[in-house]
Amino acid sequence: MLRITGGTVYDPANGIDGEVKDLYIADGRFSSKFETGRTIDATGLVIMPGGVDVHTHVAGGSINFARAMTPEDHRRTQAFIRSKTRRSGLGGMAPTTFATGYLYAGMGWTTVNEAAVPVLSARHTHEELRDIPIVDKSSLVLMANNEIILDLLEEGEDERAKHILAWHIWAAKSYGVKAVNPGGVASWKYGNDAKHLTSKIDGYDHVTPGTIITKFAKMIDELGIPHPLHLHCNNLGAPGNVETTLETMRHLEGSRAHFAHLQYHAYGGDDWGNMRSEAAQLADYFNAHPNMTTDAGAVLFGDTVTITADGPWQHLLYKLTGRKWGNLDVENETGCGIVPYTYRPSNLVNAVQWAVGLELLLLINDPWRVFLSTDHPNGACFWRYPEIIQLLMCSDYRNECMANLPPNIKNKISLPEIDREYTLYEIATITSAGPSRALGLPQKGDLGIGKDADLVIYHQDHDIARMFGHPRYVFKGGEIVIEEGDIRETPDGREYLVQPSYDPEIDKFLRPLFEDRYCMSFENYPVEMERIERSQIQDCVTLGGEGE
Amino acid sequence: MQKSKFLPRGRKDRTVVMVDIRETKSAKAADHFLQVRPGKDFELLTIMRAMIKDQEISEAEVAATGVSMEVLRDLIDQMKKAKFGVMFFGMGLSMTRGKHMNAAALLTFAAEMNAFTKFVAMPMRGHGNVTGADVIMRWQTGYPFGISLNRGYPRYNPGEFSTVDVLVRGDTDCAFIIGADPGATMPKPAIDHLAKVPTIVLDPHVTHTSRLSRVHITTAPAGIAAPGTGYRMDEVPMPLKPALNSPYPSDEEVVRRIKEAIAEKPDWMTNQPQMIESQV
Ligand SMILES: [Zn+2]
Repeated sequence: MLRITGGTVYDPANGIDGEVKDLYIADGRFSSKFETGRTIDATGLVIMPGGVDVHTHVAGGSINFARAMTPEDHRRTQAFIRSKTRRSGLGGMAPTTFATGYLYAGMGWTTVNEAAVPVLSARHTHEELRDIPIVDKSSLVLMANNEIILDLLEEGEDERAKHILAWHIWAAKSYGVKAVNPGGVASWKYGNDAKHLTSKIDGYDHVTPGTIITKFAKMIDELGIPHPLHLHCNNLGAPGNVETTLETMRHLEGSRAHFAHLQYHAYGGDDWGNMRSEAAQLADYFNAHPNMTTDAGAVLFGDTVTITADGPWQHLLYKLTGRKWGNLDVENETGCGIVPYTYRPSNLVNAVQWAVGLELLLLINDPWRVFLSTDHPNGACFWRYPEIIQLLMCSDYRNECMANLPPNIKNKISLPEIDREYTLYEIATITSAGPSRALGLPQKGDLGIGKDADLVIYHQDHDIARMFGHPRYVFKGGEIVIEEGDIRETPDGREYLVQPSYDPEIDKFLRPLFEDRYCMSFENYPVEMERIERSQIQDCVTLGGEGE
Repeated sequence: MQKSKFLPRGRKDRTVVMVDIRETKSAKAADHFLQVRPGKDFELLTIMRAMIKDQEISEAEVAATGVSMEVLRDLIDQMKKAKFGVMFFGMGLSMTRGKHMNAAALLTFAAEMNAFTKFVAMPMRGHGNVTGADVIMRWQTGYPFGISLNRGYPRYNPGEFSTVDVLVRGDTDCAFIIGADPGATMPKPAIDHLAKVPTIVLDPHVTHTSRLSRVHITTAPAGIAAPGTGYRMDEVPMPLKPALNSPYPSDEEVVRRIKEAIAEKPDWMTNQPQMIESQV
């Protein structure tokens, strides 16, 4: 048993905004009573629920390909030295698995959602997730370019497609569904893309990105997956793509949807020279439509490596930068591209991107619906989140940073007109309570009785980046894992899964198709349950028709 | 071979071009065979890179590779017309004159082909699960091979920390060999060193290395009598399901037991910081 006394508590899930309050922990959860045990005096310190990352890339084939491509970065970054009980690792743009756990926990994050897993290599992703210590994990399976499902949608066999989707979610032992550039990744197998919701997809006459998106959102809602469709829209990164994004949002009225890294989808203009922010327009629409959540996908200046299932975009980025390019194609399912990238304040496009991420976080007025992310490692590495928190909380600091942008950025961004500053309560919402709710993990991001005792205790500090970068204590499942910058314990995290129900007869339909098209036998395809360490199956939900 | 919506006739809808210095069995299975002169891989790749961009090449330069201009033009034409091309390459490219420069030329060629159509390149890996070792080393240490952990964190330098270099220099005072038989393939100074130090071998069979080792632990063969995971050369993991029982333990079990025994010993690396901001 453990007691934390005197801390100033920010717990948005329970409406607690900076109250001095004692917390009791027993058996890894918050408890209503305390009998004996250690007491931690948190007088003068700030307490929040542990951070939850709704969208990150920390495990699996693509980030591991990025590690292979960037040995020069591993050499210049921080190194974790092994001890008798702790594995070694390297930080940097694409940290190693053990270091990923240390770095997330080191800034108070205790749950992460790996946002892109092909079924074919899901076994690999789970092996890596097992090697990420401390934090709890979940993962999303890539489905919106899956040939078998697209074929069914083409033929109007929506009901069967839904069963096949459910089958795949369970086969991959995933927690939800990610759709990346629906139809565009399928077309990329032939060197093409699908930039608009009405674009032709190679090999299909009827199905378009628009139909894939609406049908997937509907299927996921009907299956009751706790986390809605997690969507990476078409036409990522391109000037003028705000039209595609708004059109996508209109397609999704009446469904739940999570828009991934919205920053990359909020641009106006029609070429790189006149690209401008359309964050304000997008935020207006978003504010009026409560069916949606989003994560920022914010950009910070500096070096990183970009990895996405959006293969055609990565080929363009390779042509623009002339830097290294890696490409993976995953049979009938998806693909991935990898390009190292440096965001520079002197580069007008990068400067606009930097502003757009912050604008979205500041102009979307409900912190329960917009979450902190950098689409790690795409916009910046996750261990730079404290810098973004500082930008959100201090308008003076924002203005200081804006002074370094090129002068011709005027009229291209709206950030200079925004004076909103986030409060600690709002920070706790966008980093923890909000993403937990969007993920459908009610035991997370909540300091209430019976919830998982994942919390972080910060020093009060006028230097916000330092405050959030160096917690006084981090607790995971009631255990002190970080204390004043030192790693204390490295417990194994859980993995969250969902098991949607489907017609067991669907195997008979799928098997011959699969054996025709895949180069793996049908029996070997699903990830075996015993390969998931400390798995926890979350119940599917029933969605009320009204209200949402 | 797999049939698909776009390739309904399977193998018949695919074109295989074999490039080698001699006509092997694989060449007979291919649709076309190009015989390149030994040691001319880099030149041939560079000429093809120039030709796809319609740059001028002299007949003499082409002739020196052993392949005619006409054949090359025809090949490039077919490549540009392909819907999805893959360049597979192996040790014949990466271990002959030019070495990693050849591989770099091929990878650049594949990237550049994407200006015309979809193309990728993929190394053909040898031996059982070499890709699996490579994949796991990358997620645990950031590097695929040639890794030193002797400062308590991973460092990478092929040519210095690769197994053969470490053994030839005589840097180790012990060797633990699993899933490999370096006694059969490595240069003599490396093998001599293995014989000199305590070498421990885990292998289902008696091998060159097990004969010179101090300890040989017989293990169940993975995938036949022990379960596990094998990574295909495209990095797709396959579950290994044992068909037979074995009286011997799996490699995994032996390694785990050795690790547990070592954990009982006092720590030899004390007073180290947890983390260093810049590596030394
Ligand atoms: Zn992403």
